[in-house]
Amino acid sequence: MAKEGFIKTWLRDWWDIFCHELKQIFSDGGVLLIFFVAGLAYPLLYNLVYLNGILSDTPIAVVDDADCSDSRRFIREIDATREVEVAAKCVNMAEAEQLMKDRKVNGIVYFPRDFGEKLARNETAKLSLYADMSSFLYYKNAMIATNFVMLHEIGQIQMERYSLAGMTEQEASQVIKPLGYEDNNPFNRAFNYSFFLISAILMIIIQQTMFYGMSLLVGTQRERNHSFASLPDKLEGHGMVRVVLGRGGAYWLLYLGIGMYIAFIVPAIFGIPQRGQFGDVLAMLLFFITDCVFFSMTWSTLITRRESVFLLFLAMSPICLFLTGCSWPTVAFPGFWKAFSYIFPSTFGVQGYINLSTAGGDISAAGSQMRIMILQTIIYFGAACGCIFAENWVIRHKEEIREKRDALAKRAGIDKAEDARIIAGK
Amino acid sequence: MNNWQRILSVARRELRIIRNRPLYFMGSIGVIAFCAIFFLTFLDHGLPDDIPIGVVDEDYSTTSRNFCQQLDATQLGKVVHYDSFSSAREDMTSGKIAGVCVIPAGMNEDIQAFRQPKITFYVNGLYFVSGALAWKDLLTMVNLTNGAVQREVLRAKGFNDSQIMGMIRPIDIDTHQIGNVTTNYNYYLSGILLPGVLEMIVILVLIYSLGAELKFGTSRHLMDTSGHSIVTALAGKLLVWTVVFSAIGFVLVMLLYHWLHFPISGSIFNMFIAMFLMILASEAIAIFILEMLPVPRLALSIGALYSVLGFSLSGFTLPLEAMPPYIQGLASAFPLRHYYLFYVQEVIFGAGFAGWWKEVIYLLMFLFVPLIDLNRLKKAYIHQNFPKE
Repeated sequence: MAKEGFIKTWLRDWWDIFCHELKQIFSDGGVLLIFFVAGLAYPLLYNLVYLNGILSDTPIAVVDDADCSDSRRFIREIDATREVEVAAKCVNMAEAEQLMKDRKVNGIVYFPRDFGEKLARNETAKLSLYADMSSFLYYKNAMIATNFVMLHEIGQIQMERYSLAGMTEQEASQVIKPLGYEDNNPFNRAFNYSFFLISAILMIIIQQTMFYGMSLLVGTQRERNHSFASLPDKLEGHGMVRVVLGRGGAYWLLYLGIGMYIAFIVPAIFGIPQRGQFGDVLAMLLFFITDCVFFSMTWSTLITRRESVFLLFLAMSPICLFLTGCSWPTVAFPGFWKAFSYIFPSTFGVQGYINLSTAGGDISAAGSQMRIMILQTIIYFGAACGCIFAENWVIRHKEEIREKRDALAKRAGIDKAEDARIIAGK
Repeated sequence: MNNWQRILSVARRELRIIRNRPLYFMGSIGVIAFCAIFFLTFLDHGLPDDIPIGVVDEDYSTTSRNFCQQLDATQLGKVVHYDSFSSAREDMTSGKIAGVCVIPAGMNEDIQAFRQPKITFYVNGLYFVSGALAWKDLLTMVNLTNGAVQREVLRAKGFNDSQIMGMIRPIDIDTHQIGNVTTNYNYYLSGILLPGVLEMIVILVLIYSLGAELKFGTSRHLMDTSGHSIVTALAGKLLVWTVVFSAIGFVLVMLLYHWLHFPISGSIFNMFIAMFLMILASEAIAIFILEMLPVPRLALSIGALYSVLGFSLSGFTLPLEAMPPYIQGLASAFPLRHYYLFYVQEVIFGAGFAGWWKEVIYLLMFLFVPLIDLNRLKKAYIHQNFPKE
């Protein structure tokens, strides 16, 4: 056989590894379950869970000891808000507290006996709000509703008081509101829970399912005494790059499909805002997927057995979600965890996706995120090659490592033969 | 050998297995320790402060400067100055600042002349907590500025300070946050997230422990040790794991409510009960998953998919009422949901037994779930007729 050129050999090796990896993926039920059931169905499931995204008409109880026209108007206005619904009118606090404990209501508004009198005497009348903090959304709703009604009421009462003090209506309205405001929440008008959370979860699903799936395969191959790095072994330690790119290509191709489904089709089905340019979001997504491939390839090296990835790393999913900064703001991260967040592509993928697709910024809105993802890609590519190298070293030194391990077990007082007899009866 | 001795010998065997595979130690104690350190230090501040808010000051007057200084001085906000709205908006879109506040040109003059100028502000609600807090902070500042101007006018008109208070603030709300007085996110989130992680660990580790018998082909020997009784075999294995998980759970409860002084209106001992029952229920789920699908690799994947959902469906962030009805029903199938309802009664309201007895019953009902088809697991253990991995 004539010696082939380097490029030709490289390409043929790459193609073989690429096909081999795809075959591996499609012949493994567990991996398919993660890629296709989790990757395709979970975005839908999470969208269903957060379908409404807004908590409306939180039930509250009202205890009206004042029983005056002002308190009654206040109650009517609270009931009319989107956030709150007056579900019960109680005769005393004890009754309202019981309703709250029974979780029939999530808040109590209490008007003290002197509420009306104080208003009549031009003093500050106080009412009390008791909010159930078991979910902050209950508290937020009760707070917003009572505060807006209060501000509105204050305006009306001030008009009366200022007229009494001898101002004309025109003067009074100017003094009451010398400075107006206009509040805008352009990307998430009603502070919808699903808009930000779903956008974040979608990108996290891409990263996590890829990592779990890849780790399952790595673990399986190691259990079967194959190694994901067995090919370069044949090449005597050369060709790390084609192994990394060949295996990576297989996942990259799969996730091009799954990723586009998650980033474009799922939000369209559930009406999550897609304000971005298709090209911009796609570019960001490609960077993210490439980053995820090398990230998964590097970290999956740690997995020695098929199942261990779930036991060790499933709890990282909620942690990744927090590290994206979409709920807890990045500026409030403790320094160490901020540095820690740079390990994960999802930190920047989520921010990029939210800025581009959900908020509709142009490509510069995700510029810094994309730069970091490129840097991560380069580092993880190098690390993935390094892992292949390390794996080869381990394969070549298998015997020595085993001896060392046995020696360590002996020193720790573990009798392996005895253990095997008790565990497996051999 | 009587049954008790058999259970003990299965338990001794289980201890050997745990000692032989560091994965068990890492997967249970290692993971919960990492998560506890993460969440408790990550959310240590309780409430974020110094959230960057962009200000575009087109007025350059004492009033506008004063407004910026006051905004900067609030605990929540930190002012970042911008020259143009477009650059501020760009930074808001890319998440660098939580909001933008535009002070219009001539604001000071307009206020003095009662022409009612308008401050316009924008917040980025996609970065949820920072957006909501920036919005609250800006709204408070505008209302305070209004009050300050009113006070000046009223003083000029000759009112005294006590009259002025009644004029500026005829109604006031005093808010009582029951169960979490300081709106502390650490109390709120860690109190459920960490038990949630524990639920995840229980399900995964137990599926792995039971499945490993099939995977490594040691299940027949297990059945020999247990005198060919699946109940004895499970009892022995569960004895070990329940002790391990309960120990973790009790340390977790102690950590949260005793050492870190998370507020609790009820009794910490009742939280031990809640934790213990949640662990038992999660163990039941794990057995159920494996007996329905005695293929360790698939069972573990399903266990993973199941336990991840528990966080959302416990309803402690977005309440269950806001979810579609068919999802609400599904939530009852997660032990964490019942733990959360128990927690609300005990930690938030201190309602005691009268508040949470129903959750105890629901959690105990989980224990019947594995009984549906224990025989299936027994057959799988004896015949090993399922794919091994």
